[in-house]
Amino acid sequence: MTQTRRAFLGTASAAGLASALPLKLSAQDALQMALVTPSPTADVGWSHTLVEGASAAAEAVGGELSVLENIAEGPDADRIMQRAAANGAGFVILGSFGYMNGGLQLAQRYPQVSVLHASGYQVAPNFSPFAAKYYQGTYLMGMAAAALSKSGKIGSVSAFAIPELITSVNAFALGAQAINPEIEVSVVWVNSWFDPASEREAAQALISQGCDVMFSNAQDTPSVIALAEEAGVYACNLNSSMQSYAPNYYLGVVGTDWAPFFTAQARAHLEGTFEGANYYLGIADEVVYVDDWNGDIPSEVMGRIDDRLAAIGAGEFNPFTGPLVDQAGETRIPEGTTMTDQEIQGMDWHVAGVTTPLPS
Amino acid sequence: MSPLEFILAGTLAAATPLLLAALGELVVERSGVLNLGVEGMMALGAAVAFIVSYHTGGHALAFVAGALAGMGAALIFAVPVLMFRANQVAAGLALGILAGGLSALFGRPYESLTVRAIPKIEIPLLSDLPILGGMLTQDGVVWASLAMAALMAWAFRSTRLGWRIRAVGENPAAAHAIGTPVLAIRAACIAFGGALAGLGGAYAATVYTPLWADGMIAGRGWIAVALVVFGTWQTGRVAMGAILFGALSIGELVVQATGIAIPSQALAALPYLATIVVLALISSNRARMRLNSVASLGEPFGR
Repeated sequence: MTQTRRAFLGTASAAGLASALPLKLSAQDALQMALVTPSPTADVGWSHTLVEGASAAAEAVGGELSVLENIAEGPDADRIMQRAAANGAGFVILGSFGYMNGGLQLAQRYPQVSVLHASGYQVAPNFSPFAAKYYQGTYLMGMAAAALSKSGKIGSVSAFAIPELITSVNAFALGAQAINPEIEVSVVWVNSWFDPASEREAAQALISQGCDVMFSNAQDTPSVIALAEEAGVYACNLNSSMQSYAPNYYLGVVGTDWAPFFTAQARAHLEGTFEGANYYLGIADEVVYVDDWNGDIPSEVMGRIDDRLAAIGAGEFNPFTGPLVDQAGETRIPEGTTMTDQEIQGMDWHVAGVTTPLPS
Repeated sequence: MSPLEFILAGTLAAATPLLLAALGELVVERSGVLNLGVEGMMALGAAVAFIVSYHTGGHALAFVAGALAGMGAALIFAVPVLMFRANQVAAGLALGILAGGLSALFGRPYESLTVRAIPKIEIPLLSDLPILGGMLTQDGVVWASLAMAALMAWAFRSTRLGWRIRAVGENPAAAHAIGTPVLAIRAACIAFGGALAGLGGAYAATVYTPLWADGMIAGRGWIAVALVVFGTWQTGRVAMGAILFGALSIGELVVQATGIAIPSQALAALPYLATIVVLALISSNRARMRLNSVASLGEPFGR
């Protein structure tokens, strides 16, 4: 059951918000699950993958899922998640970093409720942050991008300059360099998760600078992908496949599948074994996957990508293994050293080969 | 394509949604009414136009539908404001929230779908010019919006209708005394402003970024409201302001794409800073402030 809160406010604000929430006090024992997402759930994108994962988990444990979509971060979200818990939700998934403080308060106030929180860093006994190791997939996508780039310039339209997205660009650049050491990656930060017009302008700006592969880094709308098809350049993105928007020029997707993780956590909640921990999940956890590869990628490169994929999955290869040099030419990670998960999750510098300076 | 060429080519299209909405708001404010619901009216126009375009595959009908949707929303605002002398700020904000909510509701099944944009018009010879060629290759709506700006500037300066609108905004009591139908003119201006806001939204959702996503207007309605002040209620200056904002929004991204070391946030804030500076400048001189602003803006009229 889904309900757009804004739509509801618009049409029937007089009826009061409480009745707007689809959570019902039900006498039955089914686990009440609530998912709060920052953007509207479309057929593609970040919120979409969360809904898919949460629905699968609800089905697996016989729970009832309420999706509260398009909830602005801040006091609004705090009130809505409190309301959900007060109405009997026992398992709450918060789909955005900005829900962290409100989510922590919720966890403290309702110790019997288990909370999963996307891309945060705070942990409490009943509050676990979770994030995807996108970088494992973007490294592979970078390899494919470099193989198809004729100009040697790749562009990325990125949301916010936060470590999660900085690492996904860095790994993308490292993967591209594995195929073509001379490749350059330009980044435009649009400072929004959700502004189709700016994303489109940013992609056009990059293409005008000679970039002939686009990496839509955590943009929740297909505008970069659709533009790439129009402009005849290859494009890839995160979270869910947008192949239908660029049937000819879709490079591939670094996807996330949250169903196994959410299901395991919901089960743990029911069995009383839920424990707060920081979950940083990747290819080996079957959360991150790569798919929908473009047929134009040379088979020799495809073979190397498959090898790397297997090595990453087996834990034998990590893109963030030294020597890693930053944009100023300084060696940040010496040869033979691999960055820890913690270091990767806090990465605030670009590797050499990314030409755009990081906004400070 | 050089960065300059790219900025020139992209500016007019980026400015068009702002220009249409700002021209609409200009007419409303010139008649003495402040409608702060532009963001919502644009969103509603965008959603309705997208839906029509998605089902018919065409654009003419979509633009008509978007304009009607914006006009309909504006008339909801006109009733309390004109008939019951309600506070215009409160009513405008309420309209914005209502229309934004309606756009989300109507657009729900169309989230992230796409439509085909209208092609740009190649002008023989001119479109092949170096540097300026890209700027002169635009779709018809861009040219129509600029023509609308010119038409409005002329109307305010030299037509009876324009003078009557200005009179109603400057001194409604005097206008009423000489027999001008104040409320009827204000209602027509509000409807016209809503239609233009709807058109701006329609352009954003079916031509500029031919896809629907809830929240895609992303503050452009508020920029349009700011532009009217920025342009000190002069049509030409409002149009220049819209084009300047368009150029800045493109320029910010180009600067990043070319790797120049300027913080992107600072660039993104530039248009807003410019608005504040202009506001401070025109407010600092009382005489100039009185000369330019609409005297009875925001004041209800009636017996």
